[in-house]
Amino acid sequence: MSPSANSARHSGAASPALDAPRSDRSEAISYGAAVRQAMRDALRDPRVIIMGQGVSDHKGTFGTTLGLAEEFGRDRVIEMPIAEDSMTGIALGASLHGLYPIQTHIRADFGLLATNQLINLIAKYRYMFGGAFEAPMLIRMVVGRSWGQGAQHSQSPQSLFAHIPGLSVIMPSSAQSILDSYAHAVRKFPGPVISIEHRLLYDLEFKGDPGVHTIDPFASKLARPGRDVTVVATSIMVLQALRAADFLSADAGIDCEIIDLHSISHPNHAMILESVERTGRLVVIDTSWRPYGVSAEICRIVCESSPGALRAPVVTLGMQPAPCPTAKNLEDMFYPEMAQLVDAIARVVRGSADHGVRLPDEGSMADLYKRFRGPF
Amino acid sequence: MTTESYKELFRQALRIRLVEERVITEYPGDKIQSPVHLSIGQEAVAVGVCAALRPQDPLYCTYRSHAFYLAKGGDLNAMMAELYGKVDGCCRGKGGSMHLAAPGVGFMGTSAIVASNLPHAVGAALALKREGKGRIAAAVFGDGACEQGVYHESLNFAALHALPVLFLCENNGLAVHTGPQDRQAFTIRTHAETYGIPTLAVEDGHEFCRVAETVRKAVQDIRETQAPCFVEVKTYRSREHVGPGEDFSAGYRPREDFDSWMAKDPLEQDSATRSDLTPAILSEIDRAIQFAEASAWPGEEELLAHVS
Repeated sequence: MSPSANSARHSGAASPALDAPRSDRSEAISYGAAVRQAMRDALRDPRVIIMGQGVSDHKGTFGTTLGLAEEFGRDRVIEMPIAEDSMTGIALGASLHGLYPIQTHIRADFGLLATNQLINLIAKYRYMFGGAFEAPMLIRMVVGRSWGQGAQHSQSPQSLFAHIPGLSVIMPSSAQSILDSYAHAVRKFPGPVISIEHRLLYDLEFKGDPGVHTIDPFASKLARPGRDVTVVATSIMVLQALRAADFLSADAGIDCEIIDLHSISHPNHAMILESVERTGRLVVIDTSWRPYGVSAEICRIVCESSPGALRAPVVTLGMQPAPCPTAKNLEDMFYPEMAQLVDAIARVVRGSADHGVRLPDEGSMADLYKRFRGPF
Repeated sequence: MTTESYKELFRQALRIRLVEERVITEYPGDKIQSPVHLSIGQEAVAVGVCAALRPQDPLYCTYRSHAFYLAKGGDLNAMMAELYGKVDGCCRGKGGSMHLAAPGVGFMGTSAIVASNLPHAVGAALALKREGKGRIAAAVFGDGACEQGVYHESLNFAALHALPVLFLCENNGLAVHTGPQDRQAFTIRTHAETYGIPTLAVEDGHEFCRVAETVRKAVQDIRETQAPCFVEVKTYRSREHVGPGEDFSAGYRPREDFDSWMAKDPLEQDSATRSDLTPAILSEIDRAIQFAEASAWPGEEELLAHVS
């Protein structure tokens, strides 16, 4: 048997062209507006229902479901009780009978209440019944990181779910990625998809992404070609990595290649290996903890298949190994910021902590993205 | 209940019992490589409930799955092959005794996580109400399930949205080895009624005709009102929680309970009907065992097929 992580339904970069609506936008669109557009597009399919807490209230899940209950009806955009376990099981039952449920968790932390249904049932409903059932659905979980969100409103659980065979986990890092991924999930993908959105992305503006995409919308993407170092990044850390790359290119002549991992459960092994074999250097930056997570998995992929490729030790960046504190000074230490990323890349490329590259002083990422909103 | 339907329900209940008795005799041979949770003593519940449902009504059940699978119309050969871990099993050998499915007859899978199947029936009912073809969904669960949070969440949502779903509590008075006195501060039916869900009860769950009659009322009510209904059926688990044996020597329940239940069980008492029906059933079971034995093991390609 093949040990490939890419199943037939996760075709990596080699899949046929997507006939999802392409955006010919020349103007920028925010990530949050793209989510709302994707939700509205999805609801044009009568099979689709949206279920979640606050989906029909005046805030509409950070604006992403605003007005949709009025437009499509409260029986299509269903306000749910505070009962994530049953909501997720109801979604499974509805899916098995022809509906396409989209669930929202305004904090990914709340999604943890649904782990029984997600891990014990939804992830296994196809396999343990020998392929008798398909359970397509989309589960949106929002990483609540902002300032002061604390231990239970800011977690980023992608690796918990990606660990489980049967779940497809993605982290769209741009407005276009949202539009492509959600259209693919609803129209084409026959299984359950967990999408982890990052709250700090919501207000950021993204330019249109013209051109015809011929790749699997769930696949890992090459966000920036480069020759000196491979940076594998997830979610908003892709933007951090792109900005770090611009800084390092201008300030130190370091040329970063950036891979937007996007698919956490089915990363493109070939893309990662080809890049690391070429650059010989690897930095991983993820929105979550490093042990047993995305950082550890990317290292596993490289170490198992191409252990001789690395010319320098890998550096990984993520949250400090503690619950998230609320005190501002502690929170700033808890998350990796731009200076640490630039320092890590310079260290890996120059081979020394004494690399001589100036470090940018941006302060906290959460503050930065309130002031600076793109366009990206 | 006509004599004809009595005999037909008797035949179905007896078939389940004889299948499980055959599982017991085959079990020491180690060909059944899957933990079995037997329904012996509880067959009348499955038979009565499924007689009241239509084949196209989806049913979501538990790991004590054989009786409902067979009563709903699941294929015996495919079930036996599944227990043997063979590729012709109803789940291609990947489910085992605890995970049977037969979507063609509305048997929509069984879960080994207590109470986790209730919201599936509720979600099915959400879809079926929109479909508007008069189908209803059903969830079967034991009395232990009533302690889970998701049980209460599911009843609440079904009542709140008036969904056409049957909640069928198969109350055998045991959660593994523990009686309700150590588990429940409430009475199941009384509590279910607080959600505004109409409830019905069957005290003598060995009487398949009584079960069928009561569940028919509930099902008719659900189809007419397009809202949930709850039925509690008292029943008796003869065997250990898991495995083929008896466990009266363990001391958590008296053997006298078993004796008194069997003393009123039609399958034990109506020996004339039993003798009349038994030979045909036994040959069917023989054929199913032969089918399972002859079926191939799943190929290596099955290991990573149907994952995601």
